[in-house]
Amino acid sequence: MDEKIILKDDLLRICGDVIDKGHILLCPVMNEYSIVKDFSRIKLDASALPAGTSFKCYVFPKTEPVLYYKRSKSDVQLIDVNIDRKNIVILGAKPCDANSLNIMKHLFNWDYSDEFFNLREKNFIIIGLMCSHYDEYCFCTSVDSSPVSEKGSDIFLIPVDENKFAMRIITEKGSEFISPYAEYLKTGDENISKQITENVKLPKVAFDSNEVYEWLGENFESPKWEGIGNLCLSCAKCAFVCPVCHCFDIVDEDYSYTEGRRMKNWDGCQFGNFTMHASGHNPRDIQSKRYRQRVNHKFRYYVDKFGEILCTGCGRCSRGCPVSIDIKEIVSNCKD
Amino acid sequence: MKELREHAKELLEKGEVSAVIGYSQVSEKRTKPIIVTDPQDTDQLVFNEYCLNNLAVYLTKARIKVSCRTKDKTLKLAVTAKPCDVHSVVALIQENQIHREDIHIISFNCHGVAKDFGFEFSGDNIASKCINCETHKPLYFDKIFGEEKETPKASDDAMERIQEIERMSHQERFEFFKNEFDKCIKCYACRAVCPLCYCQRCITDKTIPRWIESSSHMRGNFAWNIVRAFHLSGRCTGCGECERACPVDIPLSLLNRRMAIKAKKSFSYVSGRSLETPTLVGSFNEKDNDELFM
Ligand code: SF4
Ligand code: SF4
Ligand code: SF4
Ligand code: SF4
Ligand code: SF4
Repeated sequence: MDEKIILKDDLLRICGDVIDKGHILLCPVMNEYSIVKDFSRIKLDASALPAGTSFKCYVFPKTEPVLYYKRSKSDVQLIDVNIDRKNIVILGAKPCDANSLNIMKHLFNWDYSDEFFNLREKNFIIIGLMCSHYDEYCFCTSVDSSPVSEKGSDIFLIPVDENKFAMRIITEKGSEFISPYAEYLKTGDENISKQITENVKLPKVAFDSNEVYEWLGENFESPKWEGIGNLCLSCAKCAFVCPVCHCFDIVDEDYSYTEGRRMKNWDGCQFGNFTMHASGHNPRDIQSKRYRQRVNHKFRYYVDKFGEILCTGCGRCSRGCPVSIDIKEIVSNCKD
Repeated sequence: MKELREHAKELLEKGEVSAVIGYSQVSEKRTKPIIVTDPQDTDQLVFNEYCLNNLAVYLTKARIKVSCRTKDKTLKLAVTAKPCDVHSVVALIQENQIHREDIHIISFNCHGVAKDFGFEFSGDNIASKCINCETHKPLYFDKIFGEEKETPKASDDAMERIQEIERMSHQERFEFFKNEFDKCIKCYACRAVCPLCYCQRCITDKTIPRWIESSSHMRGNFAWNIVRAFHLSGRCTGCGECERACPVDIPLSLLNRRMAIKAKKSFSYVSGRSLETPTLVGSFNEKDNDELFM
């Protein structure tokens, strides 16, 4: 592993250069990852909880046109969309967010390779930041991750003191990105950063994901779902704030009789009409079936298909649920 | 708390209600909704300053209503409701969504609730609706608990913001809401938590024709948020649940409260206050102020 030391001020100088080059700089500010131009807003606070929303909207926007069309009496003409190819540098990604693209990538390259996702993902540089604080909703350690996990980061930062970071260069992409800035990098001492990461307090492992996998396979008809379904209000907040939920809906928007565009919009499996058929039949007609789908998709179906859990343990869905439905609690207690 | 639990237990044991919808404690400063059907579980029920949810939203849920029907009679549903939540219950009765005789209201003398879970309830962390609350005692109830206490003092920042927006030019106001609605991701949590958004099929879900674009671009977001504000005008009881649920912090109550002020000024009507009066949008009076017609 290549380990360096970098001063916070130098890191900000690099940010300045990133912006000068016309790239987009994303940082967690207030309660979201926002595009930052003013450096005084960059906090790089390892003790912050995950922002209210993840950065998924920058790679998989909440709404975007996928094609435009023109219609005449005899013909339909399709016009391609230009996908924005700007480089995006995310500075200070939480470990639970950093790995989200790796997890979503499977879906967007499964039976079809989604150009929109892939092009953007290719142009992402993720600079992860170690996490030094967790709350009652965090459970990264139960889903094969941790507050010091480098998974998904191209470069990983570990705060050494207020003005200094240990910088681990993880991927080829990360090394390419940082190479022009060699002058700012000093030789690091792996032992120091190791000591820091080893002393980080980890959230208790709340469940064994293999056991959850097994339980789900055997308990499709468990009465538990009914109990949760009665409390859950069928919004899509949990799905929309989730860094790895990726369902979308395709709709056509006509501007006029002759012109329009096809949109790709976020969708969520908790909505009643998510599975509504044109016939009026709805296979997931009640909320308990929908919530069961959410948990199964995350801890069983995705594992079957792609060998990974569709959850980074960020806890956003539970922290934000208007009726305090806690996914960690549900899967941890599934057997009782 | 003891009386509340005993009362709930008795209701369930005597078979008077099919369920008690209430709050249970999650951690020191957080509660969550709970639907109790087993008398044994009534010891989980609590009431305190961290009971933020408006549980009236559950009263119109089909699955819960169905569970009240036994072979020979319909059981009541008991709901734990803060005095302001009782307004929602009243509005639902006024709008014929539920019947008064089917609901057993358990209420409290209330001195306010926290704005956010996880933080100490105080003047710095008090829900904005509580600052000028006029009904610390419920207007309707079947059972009441709790002693009267002083509400912490706090300044009504939301009202100041409303006045600030009123002073803006049309253009500035438009910009203000444009910036806010731009954030909307159409998760519909605002609709899901609202006791008065009970429509079986919301206009925004209708596709033939599609009245409101489902895309969360500016046009779709404006259409959605404005339609919701209109549909709640004169109906919103100001519980603030929509704003609390919104993941991107859109100040929805500024709109709803402004509409409520308008309804009060123009028609002397406040939603959910009386079972004797017809609803504002459901009644017609030829003397009604018609300035508001578009
Ligand atoms: S679990 Fe919570 S956030 Fe998710 S749909 Fe249900 S009520 Fe909404
Ligand atoms: S399911 Fe919940 S905890 Fe898991 S990644 Fe999504 S938002 Fe985070
Ligand atoms: S608005 Fe009034 S009744 Fe409602 S929680 Fe606040 S103080 Fe209690
Ligand atoms: S619109 Fe908002 S404040 Fe008004 S009743 Fe509905 S949830 Fe409560
Ligand atoms: S809760 Fe907020 S983000 Fe979700 S639909 Fe309502 S206004 Fe939009």
